[in-house]
Amino acid sequence: MPDLQFKATINGRKISRAAKPHQRLLDFVRDDLNLTGNKEGCGAGECGTCSVFVNGVLMKSCLLPIAKAHNTTIETVEALAKTGELSVLQQAFHKAGASQCGYCIPGMVMAATAALRANPFADREEIKERLGGNICRCTGYQKIFDAVELARDVQNGSLPATVLFEDEVAQGDFIGKNVRRIDTPGKVSGRLKYAGDMTMPGMLHVQVLRSPHPHARIASIDISAAEAMEGVEGVITCADVPGEDGFGVFVNDQPIMARGKVRYVGEAVAAVAAESPLIVKRALAAIKVIYEPLPAVFDPDEALCPGAPILHDYAPDNITKHIPIRVGDVDKGFAESDLVMEETYTTQAIEHAYLEPEAGLAYVDQDGVVTIVSPDQNVTHHRHMLARIIAKPISKVRFIMSPVGGGFGGKEDMIYQGMLALLAMKTQRAVRLVFTREESIISTAKRHPSRTVLRMGLKRDGHIHALQMKMICDGGAYGLSTEGVMRKAAILAAGPYVIPNVRIDTFGIYTNNTPSGAFRSFGALQTAFATESHLDMCAERLGLDPFRIRRINAMRDGAVTHTKARLGSVSLMRSLDALEKASGWESGAPTSRGDRRRDLNRNDIRPPCTLGARFVEAEKPEAAE
Amino acid sequence: MLTCDDYLTPGSLDEAFDMMASHRGCHRIVAGATDTLPWARDGRAGDVHIPALIDVAKIPDLREISVGDRRVRLGAATPLQRFLDNSHLAHALPAMPRCAVWFADDQIRAQATIGGNIVNASPAADVTPCLIAHEAEVELARNSGGEVVRRRMKLDQFVTGPNRTALADDELLVAIECDALPRYGGGFEKVGHRRSLVISLVCLATLLKLDDQGRRIEDVRLAIAGIGPKPVRLEDVETFLCGKQLSAEYLLEAADMPTSLVASRTRQEYRREVVRGFMLRGLINAARRAGADPEVLASELEAAYA
Amino acid sequence: MARKRGRGMAACWYGIARTAVIDRAAAWVELDDGGSAKVVTGVTEIGEGILTVLAQIAAHEMGVRPEHVVIGDNDTARAPEASHAGASRQTYMIGNAVALASREARKRLVDVMAIVWDVEAETIRTSAGEIWAENTNHHITMGEAVHTAKSRGVVPVGSASFGTDTTGLDPVDGSGRPWQAYVFGAQVAEVEVDTVTGEVQVLGIWAAHDVGRAVNPQGVEGQIEGGIVQALGQGLMEDYKLENGRTSTSGFAKYILPTALDVPRVNSIIIEDPDPIGPLGVKGVGEPAMVPTIPAIMNAIYDAVGVRITALPATPEKVLMAIREKDQLEAHMAAQAAE
Repeated sequence: MPDLQFKATINGRKISRAAKPHQRLLDFVRDDLNLTGNKEGCGAGECGTCSVFVNGVLMKSCLLPIAKAHNTTIETVEALAKTGELSVLQQAFHKAGASQCGYCIPGMVMAATAALRANPFADREEIKERLGGNICRCTGYQKIFDAVELARDVQNGSLPATVLFEDEVAQGDFIGKNVRRIDTPGKVSGRLKYAGDMTMPGMLHVQVLRSPHPHARIASIDISAAEAMEGVEGVITCADVPGEDGFGVFVNDQPIMARGKVRYVGEAVAAVAAESPLIVKRALAAIKVIYEPLPAVFDPDEALCPGAPILHDYAPDNITKHIPIRVGDVDKGFAESDLVMEETYTTQAIEHAYLEPEAGLAYVDQDGVVTIVSPDQNVTHHRHMLARIIAKPISKVRFIMSPVGGGFGGKEDMIYQGMLALLAMKTQRAVRLVFTREESIISTAKRHPSRTVLRMGLKRDGHIHALQMKMICDGGAYGLSTEGVMRKAAILAAGPYVIPNVRIDTFGIYTNNTPSGAFRSFGALQTAFATESHLDMCAERLGLDPFRIRRINAMRDGAVTHTKARLGSVSLMRSLDALEKASGWESGAPTSRGDRRRDLNRNDIRPPCTLGARFVEAEKPEAAE
Repeated sequence: MLTCDDYLTPGSLDEAFDMMASHRGCHRIVAGATDTLPWARDGRAGDVHIPALIDVAKIPDLREISVGDRRVRLGAATPLQRFLDNSHLAHALPAMPRCAVWFADDQIRAQATIGGNIVNASPAADVTPCLIAHEAEVELARNSGGEVVRRRMKLDQFVTGPNRTALADDELLVAIECDALPRYGGGFEKVGHRRSLVISLVCLATLLKLDDQGRRIEDVRLAIAGIGPKPVRLEDVETFLCGKQLSAEYLLEAADMPTSLVASRTRQEYRREVVRGFMLRGLINAARRAGADPEVLASELEAAYA
Repeated sequence: MARKRGRGMAACWYGIARTAVIDRAAAWVELDDGGSAKVVTGVTEIGEGILTVLAQIAAHEMGVRPEHVVIGDNDTARAPEASHAGASRQTYMIGNAVALASREARKRLVDVMAIVWDVEAETIRTSAGEIWAENTNHHITMGEAVHTAKSRGVVPVGSASFGTDTTGLDPVDGSGRPWQAYVFGAQVAEVEVDTVTGEVQVLGIWAAHDVGRAVNPQGVEGQIEGGIVQALGQGLMEDYKLENGRTSTSGFAKYILPTALDVPRVNSIIIEDPDPIGPLGVKGVGEPAMVPTIPAIMNAIYDAVGVRITALPATPEKVLMAIREKDQLEAHMAAQAAE
């Protein structure tokens, strides 16, 4: 395909270069000009991390074919702090604590800059609307709004610029102070490089061939055509694993690439390293895999039935882990209760959706140390496992954590670093893999979906006398953190309450679904949804205010937990008291009294979003004379 | 991933037709490109190679905007953002700004075009029903024997089904013409799963003109999408309401009329419920903006639906 | 009223650091030239703000300024093990390790200065880049003091390992000591439900969380605000859908995340019930912040419109159909009562 001659002024610099006709402005800016501040968080115009100014208008550069930007003036995030000094807005982000993982931040700073350029007096609701095209997964947006309001006030003169400085701290007493985050300047300026922004000389591009079947035997893999392709330097399958294959957080049941069979759609089967992304794609298409589909199971209850397809030989009942908690005698407890209520609660699979899709580089250094650079939440454990898998001493395996653009548990599994290591070893060159958003979603861990049957027995005075919970979780095709999630969920399930009779069983089950794994709060979110909803249901029947029923049952200092551990100081009552006061909660049984209560609509909530905060107001039709 | 051999940017209709002819059968027309690039990804079309992409967004005929006393002409490449930053346009087409503010986000509105949205003909498209309510007509052009030949049709007939229009292979959508309705009150109701970047489940455009006292309905236009394969102009309801006094009784009767039209493939019962509520909310909102006499709309009705 | 408001609340507890397994973390610290300091530990910053927390702790313990603390990369070949980012453990495990290591480095320096100034070590104070001996005229910068130490052959380094005293769980009844630090908390949610569309907007959340000791209150708020919005996403709109093992939600157009227009105003109430075991009293907040949010919201929906959602997410469709069902049931019962 013939190149386009692309001309533009980018960050004040006149550019005239050949570009491929299918390149997007984002690709050109990042790959050809090394301006990696703006990111490809999704490639489909949904997340805003690619936002740049084109002739002064903010646009999503992942949606802009390069020809559309021909002869335009472009500003990327690097233009904002070109001289090295952060703009007022960037300083405001620093002061307000608006940057966490930082991956959405360059795009967010661009959107905020656009907002204040459009309306230097924009109020908070208008600011929110103008940031509506930028997703953040870490901050909850609140401090981002605070930052934009702060910048607005400094820029329009309502506040002095000194409000952006670091607070004074007396006596070197730095604990308990809002010291500005030390990593924010690198993040708001876009100068911090994440793995997908890093390049190494002679680097090869890697992509992964993934299973289209949920459960199938691999009859054969023929990589010969791919290997023979010009520009392809290495093709790997499970046959390339020199050591003991198998990794996992609790059980090493997952191979680096599928071995013998595939267990979920999206499982890695092979990987290719080649000179360019287009060559890699062609090579992947040339790998011939012959699958023999096997009966698959997608529902945990079905997976538990005798005769169900077995995912792992070591677990013929498809139970990854079962954790029991037993205190007292629940059957007796229910018999002694005045009120018994049972309900079933279900939660869905959830995607971590960190804005940074997985990415990593690997190389073998001058001392033969196999080195992986990736946004890895657990480099310690991964080094252990990889050393065994590639049959090298630990001192010859090195994991370097690159800046992490969001984790939440989703970057805890070693699902691609093994392939990078093998390709680095096979090609003896640096290799880099960058996941697409779609690849990240279909192939990496999810929050465990759950079905919980909860039964509570209470005395008339509100004391919980017996609690029985059975939670079944779909663990998907591999173990990942299922054992830990089942354990934590079981320990915390009954809530911070003194209950004399408890029976809890949590089950993680293998199915041919996307694997479930670590996700912030590790099963406690699922059980709390059940327990805390249930408490309100029971409170309604007993005529008790929700705070009251929790106080009646609350653990206090020295309480003994459901695992029979004795606690020290317990701050639950303090927290409840502080919360009740701060929220101005009006007491009353939860009988659906929303239309009667008087603690609503205070000034510490936001207004409902109605859209249109910044309307160009059409004039009203004139009244007749 | 979308790849191509050529990305062509014609500067005139003639040039565009030449390019279409010389790449017959292996080209795709692109306006804003905001739908095309996301479409060529895993989970949707996957990797797509199109030999020639023809970008019509710079053709002057497709960029003109003219607002007259009775008609408005919008080039097909008009970006959605114009309805928010061009006050003449916003004033002449009262429901369009409310539709635009629900459309994606600022960045995408700067790039996405009304023409692209119309030709894509997604059943969830919001722009199309709103333009239909403004009595929109499309102007199509093709090259016939060296001359540009144009034809027109009503927008609600141009869209023929999900992702299908009456656009011929050698035709381009050049412009959309619709009524200028500065004295109307406009409303746009939409529901999705969140409040920005929302794909709509149901959307309703309402335009209402009242008499000088704000009590009698002189004209009403209603168009709805999300209830079937294509957007629908609610002509029966319009006929029923036109000329009547603005009253809770008539509005309630009108609100029940379209529910039998709901024939979506999914979530039928929900859409039926929402349609009824949207009819009331949309008509009340449009009436208020049209200068309704505040005493005429029963306050309970307004409270129940606004 | 088309739009109905309501409030709900929920409480929570959580364990800090790894569960039912002995956790550990180590750190190396050096009081460096020019009043700066080096901290090297296997710290995994994923946006929670741990780098800044460690800089504050090191600065506080050693007497330098946080902006002069340099933290080494998380590199298995260059840093001691501090394990992983998860279990809301890093402030607890690594913060405490850095505090202990900092105290050791400071002690090395102070012991030298005590000899040089001929004073008792206990009378020497360090703060924000300065070092002095009480009731004397000795008052110099940390940079000068480090230079003095080095010229006497002492490089002020320190190291520490911090571990937990926990046990596994009994396989039959689950008894054991899974954690040595627990936190507690609760949240109130205020929602508005649109009875025309079923949409739920969360307008406000009040969140009280015990964090032991807040090293950076703004950072604690950030964790609470972010956790709440993640939980809100699961409660109202996110859904990874699979059918026969294949997903229909492979991109952000179909997998719906909360935007700037969907989030509540969050009012954080930081509770400090210090951990008695670690040197700092800190605990953690990353995960507890999102545990009570969903039931608080669901309880608020019940308060507003009398429907109880027991299957997530509470999409507009689910909420509206539940409201209609309830209305029909009530009408039916009213009709029956009238007979």
